[in-house]
Amino acid sequence: MPEEVKVIEDKASHIVGEWEEYARKGNWTVKGYQIVEAPSGPGKVGEGKKEQYMVIYRPHGVLYHHSYGLVSKFFKGLLDNKLLGTRCPECQTVYCPPRVHCWNPRCKAAETEWLELPLRGTVHTFSVMLFSADAFLEQLPFVLGYVQIDETHTALPIQVITAPTEVFIGQRVEIRFRDKRNGDLMDIYAVPLPGQSIPEYSCLHMDKKNLQDMERDLENTYSFLEKKFGLKKEQVQRRWQEVK
Amino acid sequence: MLGRARELFGGEWMRRVAVLGGGLYRPDRVRYEVAEEGVAMAYRQMLEAIPNLDPMDIDFVQSSYFSDHLNQQLCMAWIVQDYIGLHRKGGFRVEAGGSTPLDALINAYFLIKSGHYNLIAVLGWEWMSEVDTATTNEFIASASDTDWDFTVGGYYNGYYAALETRHMQLYGESIEDLGRIAVKNRNNAVHNPYSQWRSEHGTSYVTLDDYYNDRIIAWPYRRWNCALISEGACCLLLGSEEVAGRYTDHPMWITGVGLGTDSMRPGDRLANWAYHGAHKGDEKIYPEGFPKPLTPYPEMANFGFAREAARQAYAQAGITDPVKQIDFCELFAPYDGVELCLYEDLMFCPRGEGKTLVRQGVTERGGDLPCQLSGGLTAFAHPVGATSLLQTLFCYWQLAGLIPEKFGDPTLQLANPRRALMTGHGGTGCQGGVIIYSKD
Repeated sequence: MPEEVKVIEDKASHIVGEWEEYARKGNWTVKGYQIVEAPSGPGKVGEGKKEQYMVIYRPHGVLYHHSYGLVSKFFKGLLDNKLLGTRCPECQTVYCPPRVHCWNPRCKAAETEWLELPLRGTVHTFSVMLFSADAFLEQLPFVLGYVQIDETHTALPIQVITAPTEVFIGQRVEIRFRDKRNGDLMDIYAVPLPGQSIPEYSCLHMDKKNLQDMERDLENTYSFLEKKFGLKKEQVQRRWQEVK
Repeated sequence: MLGRARELFGGEWMRRVAVLGGGLYRPDRVRYEVAEEGVAMAYRQMLEAIPNLDPMDIDFVQSSYFSDHLNQQLCMAWIVQDYIGLHRKGGFRVEAGGSTPLDALINAYFLIKSGHYNLIAVLGWEWMSEVDTATTNEFIASASDTDWDFTVGGYYNGYYAALETRHMQLYGESIEDLGRIAVKNRNNAVHNPYSQWRSEHGTSYVTLDDYYNDRIIAWPYRRWNCALISEGACCLLLGSEEVAGRYTDHPMWITGVGLGTDSMRPGDRLANWAYHGAHKGDEKIYPEGFPKPLTPYPEMANFGFAREAARQAYAQAGITDPVKQIDFCELFAPYDGVELCLYEDLMFCPRGEGKTLVRQGVTERGGDLPCQLSGGLTAFAHPVGATSLLQTLFCYWQLAGLIPEKFGDPTLQLANPRRALMTGHGGTGCQGGVIIYSKD
């Protein structure tokens, strides 16, 4: 490391030893193979002649050390129960996610100022996720929300913890901190403020069929979770019942 | 046409550039030849289609593939160019997520247009099934901002679904409209013998009822609304007008090219100052009762890059009424809501009226402006680095009247088409462009 670099707090380097085991398992050596018969050639469906192929299984496990750079302040803020944003002193735009330099071309990459934000916002848009990438499968079903935090001008990606059939655009939410925090955006989540009813305009709710189909596929998701992770439907639903 | 180009670009940008032909390696969910072999087969098909082409006449090799993660291999372009033996010549890869093959094409176009080269082979491929589906999604999602969007469980199905929810809320299209697009694209793809849908499903038509039975992945999207995961390749030959006649009787001229960008994180589009006030008409078309963000167009509902790119491409190609002047489109629509939004951003209709075009059948086969005759990204295939090349090859065959011969089925051949529009983009519309292809 360069002489000027000092580690001030270290809650990470222990993982290096722990990771070595994964690195050894995931070190590019071939773990097995299959012989597969499949079509060959560029042509149309059904035209290819059959060939045999050897398919190797080769893992690759990696541990990254990634700096959050000058927006580290935001993530340190999460550890301290604070939601921070930045404001451009020139055009007064308030950013959350924060930007250390204003992106308004007229402000010529002006340096922004940090400010603490209220723990309130509005759902700008959302998706109800019934399938996901590996890392998030166990959290299904969840609501991926884009929430405009009050006093800011952009939308923050954040999970909205609510029954998947009860979220709507324009919903007012409270931002809460998880008990256990890792220093990423999953340290916070949004919960609908009480006393709101679903508005007539809501695109998810306008057509009853939308909700029926959602209920059908939620059941599929619950079955998947039980099969894959041994999670009971009631356990899953408790996630949003408990935060109310 | 040339006069207009002179006006826009001055004398040095005079010469025209054409696609002179190409070949493909059929994309499917999983293929067992490796990338360089697949590309070689597509390359061979291209050489068969262009018998006068001596490989040593090729000045430059433009490679196009998206992900280094998917195959545990960096610099695969070197392997591929090596495999087909086109050494000594210059060559490099471009990469920009989903925009990769479009950018490769546009780069080749610039290199020829500028007078630097005469003849360029564009090679595109992607091998996406070496990891399981969820991991493929994860790798693709690493093309989003991994400190922000990805962290909360987002991946592309989720981002695009959230964008569509916003558009749906503001402009009132329904799940049925998304279903109509899904059904249209599938029922086109059954006539494309190279389509993944045909490989997975066969040749029967599907209906809206079938669509409703399909599983929701990320509301409002069902599986059928989402791009396929594919392995496949495509090669194209691009050349200047000076050399075009040596290789083909059917040059497909590139008569308009536009490029645009938007924010990396879609949530930032609420205050994207670069767009502020740039599209006043669209900013006004906003439903009452919804607070307007600082930048009401495109915000999280539309695709600003496409509007910017279309303006440039239309100006070059002399297009003032796209629905009348364009005969068909191959859109980069990884999700069906994107197709609907692009109708608006490409100015086929005013903002918010994409649903009307769907309901009137304008973009169906037989409509005024058929879109995704090939089946597109959701029914033909989406091997990322090859996708826009496959769509270009489809446009080429379509404009040359070769669909019946190439497909062994005349259904998708239009009567005397003159002009096509193709789009490409990466991320959630972070970067992309528009190309206009013309028969003359």
